[in-house]
This record gives sequence, C-alpha cells and structure tokens, in this order.
Amino acid sequence: MPSRSIDLPQGTLDLLILRTLSLEPLHGWAVSERIQQISSDVLRVQQGSLYPALHRLERRGLIKARWGTSENNRKAKFYELTKAGRRELEIEQDAWQKLTAAVSQILETA
Amino acid sequence: MFLHDLLFRLRSVMRHPAAENELEDELRFHLERQADKYVKAGMSEAEALRRARLEFGGLDQVKNECREARGVSFVESLAQDLHYSARTLLHSPAFTACAVLTLALGIGANTAIFSVVNTVLLNPLPYPNPQELLAARQNESLANLKDVQSQTYSFASSGGVNISPMDFTGNGEPLRVHAAWVDGGLLATLGVQPMLGRWISADEDVKGGPQNVVLSYPFWRDFLAADPHVLGRAIRLSDKTYTVIGVMPRNFALPRELADVFVSLWAGYPEAAPERGVHFMHTYWRLKPGATLAQAQSEIAEADHRLAEAFPDTERERGTMLMPLQEWLVGNVRPALLILFGAVGLVLLIACANFAMLLMARAVARQRELTIRASLGARNSRLIRQRLTESTLLALLGGVAGLIVAKAGTTLLLALKPEELRLLDVIPMDARVFLFVFAISLLTGLLFGLLPAWSASRGDIAEALRENARTTATGVSRSPLRSFLVTAELALALILLAGAGLLIKGFLRLRSVDPGFNPANVITMYLQLPGTRYPKIPMQTNFRRELLARINAFPGVEAAMISDLPLAGNFVGHRLVVEGQPTPAMGSEPLVQVLSVMGDYYGVMQIPIRAGRDFSEMDRAGQPRVAMVNEMFVRQLLPGHNPIGSRINWARADDPNDWMTIIGVTADVKHSGLNQPVDPAIYTPFSQNDEAWRKFMTLVIRTRVPAAALVEDVKKQVWSMDGQIPLSSIQSMDDLLAVSVAQERFNVLLLGSFAVLAVALAGVGIYGMVAYRVNQRTHEIGVYIALGAQHRDVLRLVMKDGVKLGLVGIVLGLAGALALTRLMVSLLFEVKPTDPATLIAVALLLEAVAILACYIPARQALRIDPMTALRRE
Repeated sequence: MPSRSIDLPQGTLDLLILRTLSLEPLHGWAVSERIQQISSDVLRVQQGSLYPALHRLERRGLIKARWGTSENNRKAKFYELTKAGRRELEIEQDAWQKLTAAVSQILETA
Repeated sequence: MFLHDLLFRLRSVMRHPAAENELEDELRFHLERQADKYVKAGMSEAEALRRARLEFGGLDQVKNECREARGVSFVESLAQDLHYSARTLLHSPAFTACAVLTLALGIGANTAIFSVVNTVLLNPLPYPNPQELLAARQNESLANLKDVQSQTYSFASSGGVNISPMDFTGNGEPLRVHAAWVDGGLLATLGVQPMLGRWISADEDVKGGPQNVVLSYPFWRDFLAADPHVLGRAIRLSDKTYTVIGVMPRNFALPRELADVFVSLWAGYPEAAPERGVHFMHTYWRLKPGATLAQAQSEIAEADHRLAEAFPDTERERGTMLMPLQEWLVGNVRPALLILFGAVGLVLLIACANFAMLLMARAVARQRELTIRASLGARNSRLIRQRLTESTLLALLGGVAGLIVAKAGTTLLLALKPEELRLLDVIPMDARVFLFVFAISLLTGLLFGLLPAWSASRGDIAEALRENARTTATGVSRSPLRSFLVTAELALALILLAGAGLLIKGFLRLRSVDPGFNPANVITMYLQLPGTRYPKIPMQTNFRRELLARINAFPGVEAAMISDLPLAGNFVGHRLVVEGQPTPAMGSEPLVQVLSVMGDYYGVMQIPIRAGRDFSEMDRAGQPRVAMVNEMFVRQLLPGHNPIGSRINWARADDPNDWMTIIGVTADVKHSGLNQPVDPAIYTPFSQNDEAWRKFMTLVIRTRVPAAALVEDVKKQVWSMDGQIPLSSIQSMDDLLAVSVAQERFNVLLLGSFAVLAVALAGVGIYGMVAYRVNQRTHEIGVYIALGAQHRDVLRLVMKDGVKLGLVGIVLGLAGALALTRLMVSLLFEVKPTDPATLIAVALLLEAVAILACYIPARQALRIDPMTALRRE
C-alpha cells in the first residue's frame, strides 16, 4: 500500500494534543511521535507548528508545563492536562465525533 | 479566563529573559531527541541533525510564533510600534506640529478650566469634616447667635464674624487692616487651632474681657517680622492696645472673609456686641455627628419664632436659612463655571475633529507604505494598532503641550478672576488635574485615532486612492467621515459663538446701564476716624469740614464726601416713617438706604437734582433737619405727593417730633450694582449726623490733575491733621465700575475666547478639507480650465461642497444653540437666550468664516496651470 500522509485539517491539532496528553504528561517531541505512531504515520504534524500550539494551549490554561527528566535522562519540558483542559477535550471530542459522523453520512448517502 | 490570560502574559513579560531561555531549551531538546532517533536508525550524527532541522521548519519563525502564542509579543510589538511611530513622526515635523498644537489648544483650555473647577468645586474645604459645616444665609447679631445656639440641639458649635477696618499704627505709615470681630466659638466651629499661642477663650469672650488679639500668618510675617517671641507683645489697633495671644497657621483662611487680625467682638466693638438688632455677623455652624440639615433647619425655625415674639421691634422678620458651607461659598460661581467647562469641552471636540482629519489625510498620504507593509504580511489588526499607537502618542504629546497652555491659562485666569473667586490665589495643578489631562489625552488618541482607522477599513481610503489614481468620474468621490467632521465642527462652533454672542450682548447692555453718576475723572479714598480721639459728632464734623476745605483749596479739584460710595458694596439701612401716613406695625416700617454727604456731592458725582434744592452751608447742626431722597423713594413711599416739604423720621426715633424735611429729589443711582434694582434712598448732611458711630467716609474728588500726585497731597493733608489715620481703597470711580462687572467680564472674556478658538479651529478644519480636495483634483481642475472654464466656474466647483457643509453645520448648530443657550439664562443680563438678532448675526459671521476658509484654497485652484496639471499625469 503506498503510504501517503495527509496534512491536518485546521484546528484539529489542538484536539490531538489534548487527547495525547490525556493519557500521561509528555514533552513536545513525545507528543509529535505519539501522534504519528498512533495514526500509523498517516497524519503528518509539521513539527515546528506543534510548539506554538502547545504554548497557546498553555496560555489558555488548558495544559500546564513543568520541567522534568526525560527517558534519556535529559532536562525536558513536560505538559499535562489541567481540569479545564479535560473539560475542553470532552467538549471538542464530542463535537468532532458529531461532525465526522455527519460528514461521513453525507458522503455515504448523497 | 481573562484574568488567567492577563497573568500569563504578565508573567511572560516579567520573566522575559528566563522565558526566552526556556523556549530555546525546549526546542533544542526536541531537535536533539529527533536527531538521536535518526542516529539510532544508522544515520551519521551530522546528517541526523540536518534532517531533524529540516523537518522542524524555520527555527526563528517557530520561536516567533511561540512568543506570539504566549502573548509576549504584545508588549514587544507595542515597543516596536512606539519606536516606529516616534521615527515617522519625527520625519514629518509639520504634520506632528499641527496635530500637537491643535490638541494642545483643546486640551490646554480644558485643563485650565478643569483646574479651576477642581480647586473651587471639587476640592473639599480646608477644615476637618467639612460636610458638617453650615452657613446661615442671613447676617446675625451676637445676642441672637448665642440664643439660637442655646435653644437648639443639632449644633456642636457655632461662631460668627464681622470684618471691619481697623487702623494699625506704630509701624511707619498708619495702615488700614481687616479685623475679624469674632465670637469665640468661631475657631472651634471651623475646627482649627492657632499655630502659635492660643485662641480667645470663652471666659475672655465676654463684656469687659481683655484686649487680646490673634494674628493671621501674613500679618505676623509682614508687619511683625515673623517674631517667634510675639506672644505677649502689644500692638496698636484703632487707638487701643491689644496683647498678642496667638498666630494662625499659614494656610488658614476664613471661609469667605479676608482677615489680618482676630479680636473678640466684645473687645473690638463693645458698643455693638450686646445690640440684638445689629445683624452684622456672618455665622457658621457645625452639626453634631449624625445630625441633619433638615433637623437643624427646623430647630432654628422654632428658635426664630421665639425670638420674633420676644423682640418684635428688631427680630420680627426672622427667617434664618442654613445651607451647607460649600454650597454657600461656591453656589454663585457654580453655574458659570459649569457652563464654561461645558463650552471648553466643545472646543476640545472641535480640536479632536481636526485631529481626526489630519490623521485621515496622513493615512492617505501613507497608503503606499501601508499597502507594502500589508503585502509583506502585516495583519490588518496589527496595522490598525500601529496607527492607534501613533495617534495616542500624538495625543499624549498634545496633552503635555496642553499642560503648558493650561499653566499659562490659569495664570491669566487668576489675573481676571472676579470678586466671587477672590480667595482663590493659587490654582494648583494637583494629581487630579494630571489624571484629567492623561485621561482626556488617551481618550482623544484612541477614539479619534480609531475613527479614521475604522473609516479606512470601510473604504474611505480606498476611495481616496482611486481619487489619487484619477480613475473616478468627476467629483463623485466624497469622504462621508470628513464631511461629517466638518459639519459637526461648524455646528459646535456655532453653539459656542451663539453663547458668546449672547453674553457679549448682555454685557454691552450692562455696561450701557446709566449708573446715575459720571464716573470719569473721579478719585475716591476711604478713611475712618478713630473713636477714641473723635468720640463726639461735633469733633467729627469739624475734621470733615476742615479736610474738605483743604482739598478744595487745591487748584483744579472739587471734593466732597459720602458715607458709603455707590458700587462699593455697603450701605446703612434704616426703617422710617412718613408724616401723615398711618404708622405700620413695629418692625415692618419701610427700609431705606441712608447715606450721609458733605460738600458738593451731587456736583462732584454729577448726579442730577430733579426737584427742590441741594444742601447748603446753612443745613448744619442746630438747624431744622433736612434730607434729600432719590426718585425711587418718591415712587415707592410718596406716590402722588409733592415730595418737597414732606417730612420723615426714623422709625421709633428718640424724638418722634424732630422731623426731617425733604428739600430735594435726586436722580436714581445704581448703588448696589448695575444689574441690581435701585432701592429707595435718603441723603442726610453729615453736619446733622445723629449717629456717633458713623465715623467712616469716602472722599470723592473730581480732578483734572494726575491722580497719583493728588493722592499724595491728600494723604499729606490728612496726616497733617491727624498722623494716625490711614487712607485706603484708593481707586477711581471708573475702576470701581469695572470691578462691579468683573464677574460678567470674566464670563464674556472666557466664553468669547473659547468661541474665537472654536471658530478658528473650525475654519482651519474646513480649509483643510477644501485644500485637500483641491490637491487631489488638480488634474480634473486642470482639464476643466483647459476646456475653458471661467474663474467663477472653478470657484463654484471647488467651494460648493465646503459652503454647503458649512450651511448644514450652521443650521444644525442653530438648533443646538436653541437647545443649549437656555442653560445660561442666569448669566444673561436683559437678553433672551433665544435672542434672534444675536443668533442671526453669529450664523452670518460663521458662514462668512466658512466661505473665507473655502475661498483661500479655491484661489489656489485658480492658479492651476492646465498644461502642468495634465503633464503631471
């Protein structure tokens, strides 16, 4: 099967980050790796665009950052979900599912 | 959420270097981790790092986006914007100067008036708990003050004061000083303590109490050399010795009165102190904590009622009205100040409109630059913010320049201040004034910067650009915002002009009121005989007669004297009865002004005698008593009678059969002010004076000699007769007349200068609009001329819009004026606020200014050379 990765639709990066961080605190690199792994390399996250998104989410109070030690024993910045972030994730997840369900229904029937 | 955002941004700013390092570390960690991954997959280290970098994208751009995401960039970009604005403003000094100057005038005028409003209306009185302080509208006698205080419960304390001249001698030239004859409770009521020594105690403030004096700070400093051991020193006041017991603090002033020294009424004027009928003290009252004005007023009404019943001959018409002290002090000036403040606010609006138009013209001129910046990726919001930064910076500069204008303005105001503001000797620029300037500058910058920026996004500028590119059809382009601003400016200017016009008309009416005498070439001066050396009437009469004889011996000089000069603010009022008329109830006899004269008073003042004869040398002590009356007296008290020969007497006179015969009738004199009604008055000869306390007099001297030399000669004559009598209030009758209308002149000058400023600004505004459009349409006008248009056609083309907008503005302004000038009715003298002649005149004047403002740029249009204009294509 020819592997062709696709760019993320606008605005979904935040959702993916929140979802990824809902399992455990991660640093930026790990977030990008995780997204790529889980999506079986279908989704391609421009690595540079990840960080502005993380900082924006931090400013909105949806995630918080602290410095810790990485798996290879280096100083790294870890992000974790805040309560507000968890609520936001639920809302966004719900909205996304409704959206995709509606879109696929149209695609299948129309 | 918002708070979190703000704190986050703030932290980002505070921890700026740390945050930068963290960002650096975070991104480096990412790149190294990614490179590690590739190394493990078998890549060379250098190749791995290169690949990681490539995948990551532009590092600097990511950093920038992160900063923006964190909100750091707000402050940074503000600094950038400021730097950029400052640079561009420096590059266009003419524009900057125009904008700053326009705003400086508007803001400066506002700040000056606000400083006065702040000082007079907003600052609390300089006494503790000033909200508890009340003043009585009516004057009061000491006996009544004591009785009311003892019969009421709401007052913590009360005090009274009468200001009288006293002669301070023993220190070079004798000097007239203002003595405050007080009731000892005054200082406790005001809540102030002397700086040195002590105040008059209760057991001293009684009949036969010691002759003590408390000094004001300026008196102590100027006449006693700020002697620190002054307590116990003796000073001479009106021929008596007083012991200094205290000095008041430097910043102390009585609420309304000027006072150099303070003495107990019992010590200063023991004859008047027990007299219940001598209502001559201003009284001040301090409410007990929790007591209300209404409660106090009802208690005082009861006390009044009791006093009226107990002492009907003097207290029959009591009706004491209390009011908050602040209200009593500023109630008279408040309407004028608020109207001036409103007027100057309109001036600011006009200045702001010009400012907005300047910004618009500049935006068009800089459109190319803005377009380039936009195409380089600057976002629209960023561009608007940049322009707001610029306009705010300009406005703040205007505010700073405005402070300088305001400083000059307040200095001028102090020089012009009317009597009501005479205690106002400094107009401080306090924190509130600075806050005011900052607030209106900021608001101006933001609001009137936003207006053109907003209009730009609505296409005004795009339109202007098209105009620039000369692709539009002839003359269809209009900037609605610009037209609106010009119209509004003219409307506002008309409102101000109407207000000023009405005031001027009222003022001219007031000035043309006949005072009843001829003020030209008349010098006046006040003197008072010390009671210790001139206790008896004959001694006083001899002094007066001798003094007048000596002055009249000067060549070219005619002198006379009167007890109370017209327009000087005083008169003695007496009740009287007319022979043959039923005697009214005790205490309700007619009240008239009683003035004593000596010498040819009517001749010197040129007051016409309407009937009968003047006083003569024969009308002296021992002869039948005579009087002259004014026409108002005849109209009110002797209607239908021949006044000459009618007889009058004081109500309840010592000798009811010693009648005064009326020998003459004089023309009415405006004694209390040009805008005040004339009261009935009688004149009696000083030589038949029956009141020994009437020791004061004002010399009136008509002279063709230079006044300064004459004043010295008169002083010499007085002092050769008695070296301890000071001469004071030396002023010409013309000056006195001018002072009496100072409040009105103050209003006229201020509102008039605001109107001039407003018209000038509006004229500049309309000029700017037409000039701008001529410039934009050079090509079109060139073609028009090339096609054979005559001068008048070109003028019509160019001026049409401006003149039309001017007319619309003026019509709107007239409507506004009709609505607003009602507010100033209390300031107008015999002019209706809707006076049609004034409104028409100011409308014509403003239209003329508008046409002129259009004509100047239109003339430039006439000089357009069609060939040059076309070649500029």
